[in-house]
Order: sequence, then C-alpha cells, then structure tokens
Amino acid sequence: MTISAPATVDELQTLIRDSERIHVIGKGSKTALHGNVNGAATVGLSEISGIIEYQPAEYTVTVRAGTAVHDLSAALDDEGQYLPFDPLLPAAATIGGVVAANLSGSRRFRYGGVRDFILGAEVVDGAGRAFRVGGKVVKNSAGFDLSKFLVGSLGRYAIMTELTFKVFPDVPRFRSLAFHYEQLEDALSAIYFINQSPYELDALDLVPPPLMNRGKKDGCWKLLARLAGFDETLPQRVERFSAAMTGETAPIQVKPLEDSASLWDPLAGLAGACLVKVALSPKQVPRFDEMVSRSPRRYGVGGNIVWLETEDIKQLDAALKSCELTGLCLRGVVESAVIGAPLENVLAARVKQVLDPQNKLV
Amino acid sequence: MNRALLAALENIYPADRLLTRDVELLPYESDALTAFSAKPGAVVLPVDEAEIIYTVRLCHEMAVPFVARGSGTSLSGGSLPIPEGLTIGLNRLNRIKKIDPQQRIAVVEPGVINLHITEAAQPYGLYYAPDPSSQSICTIGGNIAFNSGGAHCLKYGMTSNHVLGMKVVLADGAVTQFGSESIEGVGVGPDLVGLFVGSEGLFGIALEITVRLMPQPELYRTVLAAYDDLGRAGDAVSMVVASGLLPGAMEIMDRLAIKAAEASVNAGYPDAEALLIVELEGEAPQVNAEFEQLRRIIDASGAFESRVAKSEAERTRIWKGRKGAFSAVGRLSPDYIVQDGVVPRSRLGEALLEINALKAKYSLDVANVFHAGDGNLHPLILYDGREDGALEKAEALAGEILALCVNLGGSITGEHGIGMEKRDYLPAMFSEEEIDIMQALRLAIDPKEIANRGKMFPGGEAPALARQGMHPLERAGVISRE
Repeated sequence: MTISAPATVDELQTLIRDSERIHVIGKGSKTALHGNVNGAATVGLSEISGIIEYQPAEYTVTVRAGTAVHDLSAALDDEGQYLPFDPLLPAAATIGGVVAANLSGSRRFRYGGVRDFILGAEVVDGAGRAFRVGGKVVKNSAGFDLSKFLVGSLGRYAIMTELTFKVFPDVPRFRSLAFHYEQLEDALSAIYFINQSPYELDALDLVPPPLMNRGKKDGCWKLLARLAGFDETLPQRVERFSAAMTGETAPIQVKPLEDSASLWDPLAGLAGACLVKVALSPKQVPRFDEMVSRSPRRYGVGGNIVWLETEDIKQLDAALKSCELTGLCLRGVVESAVIGAPLENVLAARVKQVLDPQNKLV
Repeated sequence: MNRALLAALENIYPADRLLTRDVELLPYESDALTAFSAKPGAVVLPVDEAEIIYTVRLCHEMAVPFVARGSGTSLSGGSLPIPEGLTIGLNRLNRIKKIDPQQRIAVVEPGVINLHITEAAQPYGLYYAPDPSSQSICTIGGNIAFNSGGAHCLKYGMTSNHVLGMKVVLADGAVTQFGSESIEGVGVGPDLVGLFVGSEGLFGIALEITVRLMPQPELYRTVLAAYDDLGRAGDAVSMVVASGLLPGAMEIMDRLAIKAAEASVNAGYPDAEALLIVELEGEAPQVNAEFEQLRRIIDASGAFESRVAKSEAERTRIWKGRKGAFSAVGRLSPDYIVQDGVVPRSRLGEALLEINALKAKYSLDVANVFHAGDGNLHPLILYDGREDGALEKAEALAGEILALCVNLGGSITGEHGIGMEKRDYLPAMFSEEEIDIMQALRLAIDPKEIANRGKMFPGGEAPALARQGMHPLERAGVISRE
C-alpha cells in the first residue's frame, strides 16, 4: 500500500480532485478499516498534525487531525485537563482516527462520548472543497451540526483536517474496586442499581469470567468501578459506595484494586487478531452475550459497549444481525470493517450525495 | 391557502383540529420573538405520528410550506408561521411512552413538555438535564429543533448531548430512525442524531425521541456573590475555572437585570452592580470539599457579600430570580430583544465593555444576563415599540453585538438558534461556500424547501410584520425567555 501524506490542506484538496477513489488513514492503527479498499489512493494524515490552539481557560483545544492522541493528551495533562471521552488506542492512534471511528474509552461513562465533546472541524469533502463545520467555542448552535455527523463516519463523507474539542479539568485521584458476581444477571442488576444512584463513577466496566474458568468457583463476573475526586474525600466515598453495593446488590466478593491506566484500558486483555467494537444497551447484553460466550470480551461504559475478539467473523456478523446490532472491526483482515446490521440510512445517503457526489471517499 | 391541501386535510382532521378561521389562527401568529408575526394559512393539530406523516407527505406533494410548532417559545422566531403555509401543532403528541430507570432512558413524543420528563423520572431518582428557562412549557420537539440549552449546560451539555435516538419524518415524507437505546448510539456510522438536533425544523419532524436521563445529584451547593463591578464578577468566573472546579452552573446578572428580577419575583438579591451564581452538584462528600475551595475563591474575588443557599427553598429562590430575569425585564420596558451571542469566556469582560459603549452610542438600555461558564451572553435590548424607528434601532444594536461576538471568536447563537431573527447574520459566521453546502444539504433532504421555509438561511422569503409588546402568555407569567 502506497500512502500519500499531504503536508497541507491544499495538497489534500489537490489529491482528492485528482483521484478517483480515496481512502483516508491516520497512522493505520485500526488495520481492519484499511482492508478492502482496492484501487483507492490511500491518504495518510500523519503530516497534518500539531496543536493549533489550546486555551485551558476556555476548555477548548483545536488540533490538526493527524496529531497523535498521545501528544494531545500529554499537552492537556500538563494543564490538568483531559478529553473526557477518553480516546482509545492512545499509543498509536491519531485524534482524527478516533473521531472517524468513534472510539471512546471507559471514562466515557462519566461525561459522554466523542460526540459530546466535538465542537467543530475543518474538513475537505469528496468534491475537494475545504470548509469549516461547527464552531470553536464551548457553546454554539449556528448552522447544521455536521461536526457531530462526522463522528463515526469512517472518512466516507469528508476528511477531517482540524478538530476543536471541549475539554474538562481532570480530577486528581482515583480509586478502583471490583465487585464479583456469580451470574451476569446479578452484575447487570448492580449496574441498574448504580444507574439510579447518586454515586458518580468515573468508569464502570464489566469483565466476564475467564474462558478457561467457566463453571468453576472463581469463574465470576467482575464489575470494575472507579471513583475520581479529591484525595481527602475518596476514602469516605469508596466506603459509602461499597456499603451500598454490598447491601443492595449482594456481590460474592468486593476487592479494592490498584488503579492504573491498563486496568482501565478495555482493550488491554484483548490481544487477538480480530477486534470488534459493538454498541448495545445494557438490556441487550444477556441475549448477545449468550451468542458470544466463547469470545474474549469486555463490556465497557456500564454495559453500553462491548469489545470482543473473534476468530469467526461470519458467526459474529450473524449474531449481530439477529440482535439488530452493528459492529466495527478495528483489527484483523476482514472484507468489510462494518459488520452486522447494515448502516444504510436515507438521511446519511442525502448527506453523502452532497459531500461526496462522485463517491470518491471509501 | 392551497385549497387542494385543505380539502385533503379535511379528510383526516376533524374541524376542531384543523383551524382556518382568523380567530383560531391568532394564537399561532407569533412565538416568543414577539417583534414578528405572520398569519398561517391553517393550523393542524395531529394526535399521532401517522397524522404527522400523512400531513408532511401532503405538503411535499403539493409544495406547501409547513412549520412544526410546540409551545411557541422560540426566541429566534423559529416557530413563526410561514404566511399562507401550514402550521403543524404538536402539543397533543404529549405521551411519555416509556421510562426505563434501569437504563436511564425515556422515550417520548415531540409534544412532551421538557419539565414533564423530569417529573416522570423523579420517582426513580433521575432527571432530564437540559433546562431552558421556559422548561415548564417548552416541548422536547422544539428543544430538538433548536438544540436548546439552559443554565446547566457547562457540565452535561445541551439537548443534543441528551438525545440518544429518534424516529423522524423528513421533509419529503421519508420516515427513518437513527440512534438507539445505548448511550453509545449505533456505535459506528455518522452521528445522525447529532446532525438532526439543531437543524431548526429544516430537515423534518421528530416523531419519537429517546432521551437519556441523569441521576439527581445528591447535593447542590449554591452560592450567590455580589460585586460592585461587573468585571470583577467575570474575573471570579475565571478564577473558578483556573482552580480546576467544574460547577454545574455559573451565571452572572448585571444591575439592570437584578433590578428587574427584584421587581418581578422579589428574590431578595443584594443591591449590586453584578451578581454571580455558582452551583456545585454531585456526591455529597466531593461537593462539600469542592465547596470549601469555591468559598476561598469567592472570598478572594472581591465580592462584597456572598450568600450560600441553606435549604432547597433558598436555592429555588436564588434561581427563581435568575430564571425569571428575562420576563422581569418586561416590567422595565414595553419591548425588548434578547440576544444569544457567545464569546470565549476569557473575553467576557471585553465583550461587556463593548456592549456598554454600544448602549451609549444607541441611547438604549441593555440588561445583561449570561451563562458565564460557557461565555453565552444574553443581552436584553430595551426599547419602546410605539416609538417610530425604535425597533429598527434596537435591531441595529443587536446586529452590532452579534458582529462583536463573531469578532471575538465566538458565535452568533449559543442556544436559541438562527431562526428568523438572525438569518441575515449567518454569513458573519460562515463563508459563502459553507452556506452553499448547508443549503445543498437542505435541498437534498427537502427539494421543495417546504420545511420551515424562510428560517436559518439569509434572504429567506417569510415576511414578518413588526409589532410590539410581550407575548400574551409571557405577560401572564406563564412563559419566560432565555
């Protein structure tokens, strides 16, 4: 695969105008997205990178799309701030890729996902036009909100070259706990309890029993909960939360955990060849989980996302279709990165017709 | 009015839900942007989504423009009728179809009143977060069209951030669904919910909406601080932000707005040049610790008086003055225009100085109320519509304020939308090409330009008549503007 890496928006525009089909990548960390694009010129955005404007006092940051997530997060961290949607794959991904594939991490639980923190973007569409969508301030309702539209759009409507996000002050300290349950149903009941409680968790993930231990005594479901806040308040909050969970949800065990970035990286234990993201609602979990019980997986964001490995993409595709869910393959060699229930939608098609009338962006 | 359309509407709407007589149309002639009014050709009041779909398809077929309307609280004239067009009143689609507290979601029809969702969710310890000041009367359908905000948007966002899924009828009659019951939506694919919310009724009508609910905070701590200088109140906001605190709301009112609020709801505000309201919310131990930090900041910020709400009743009283400030200004002046510009927070002081200078230039009074946390200004320009040229003068001043917001790097609207009122200012924010692209998008969805024709885009046809005075409901204290 030859990758052209334009250094400027002008060069990108020229490339698009001169090509019949274009496939855009950041740094290519999500390999499954770049499989079946035969014949398309591949454009990498790694040269269009760097922070353009960061104003901590405004809670806003404007950054070029090819900027490494790692670099952006480090710059925010220097000012005690963060991207509350918690971008995934911080080691390898570009921020544009995170937006295009809509990849929020576990901390999304507290304040929201990519869509909730994107404020605006500069894009080049399939006709080679460069223009701005959305705004640069934390609140703006002028014009159609195409910046939200681009979240999850996989580079098929317009190529983002610059992004503006809302950022928040980060909390100084964390405490993590695991609540163990024998059955999935018990763990889900605990999530429902938390959902209606005033306890404000920074993250809430559900880890199924290890495959080799299924049916054994230690083969339990682990609900991982993280609290964030001031040092002086955390002990009291952890105690209150634990007591409430113990009283209301009857875990078989409660374990304090050492908090770390890898504990809260939902992909940390998923090293298999083919990695898939699926959004679902907590109440869809039991039925879906039965179908994927042999796949290593982790439920993130209070049971609203599942990350799973599969060796049999066809079987997963069928399972997703029967649950009317759509999956996105991030890693692996696949015919199509989007599997399960198809994404076709009349409104999306109308937008495509305007932004990419010649169907150049694939 | 198109006779063939009327005849077709008569086939499904009984006479009490198809309004055509002048006296019946009168209440629909304007919304909360009272400076404008227009007479619709007819008003229909559907009771279910099938009637809405049928009506939109008829309008499309016969190329008759329509506007969907909830309670008519738009401050940008978003629900102003299209002369000789059809107004589709959605208030009767007011069912809350489902509350699922376990998943923290509600499924509602477009005519459901914003506050009613919170009331239905309250028994489960949940609430619906976006809180426009008109929340006791405005509908969720209107909130979606204009991506409504409120005083508590800084932390949890606007309407768009609280809609998970919807079923809509597009302007050409196509019916489609997007999003899901998951807070992550469909997970992949363009965010269609995000595109539809805030499209000002130009894409079509939301038929059914899935919203996310939030757990009620365990504790609120609300502080009211009084300053003898508006700039100092603005500096206090910067100090709070710099400290790393993330309050649920930060609001500022200036002297004139305070005076109006006092006259209207007797909130017991101190006599001051500026008042700052800061509200912390969340888990009790954390909020109490944050509150100590906030208190130190307020003490150091030069406030000559600060009060802490000691009970829910005191908190309500503080907010009542703030939320009623707009309609309260109606007591000081026969007419006023509300603006909704946004500036980067750090340039609030500059913006206020400029607005003061403009006040002098135009010899008009301006009361300032703003969501200081997100830089969203609501200057209220006072004028007397009975005076020749007064409205035009007020509008010219409003235009200068909008230009100022754009020049400072902000936006012409934070939460009210472009609507009828600011359509001529859209080019101040977007280039010709950007507007062309948005227009092409609209045409791809609505080739006959029938959905809310004359709004958002500059130079639209919808003529409007100047008039004066408050909305009758506003005068009666039922609705308020924000």
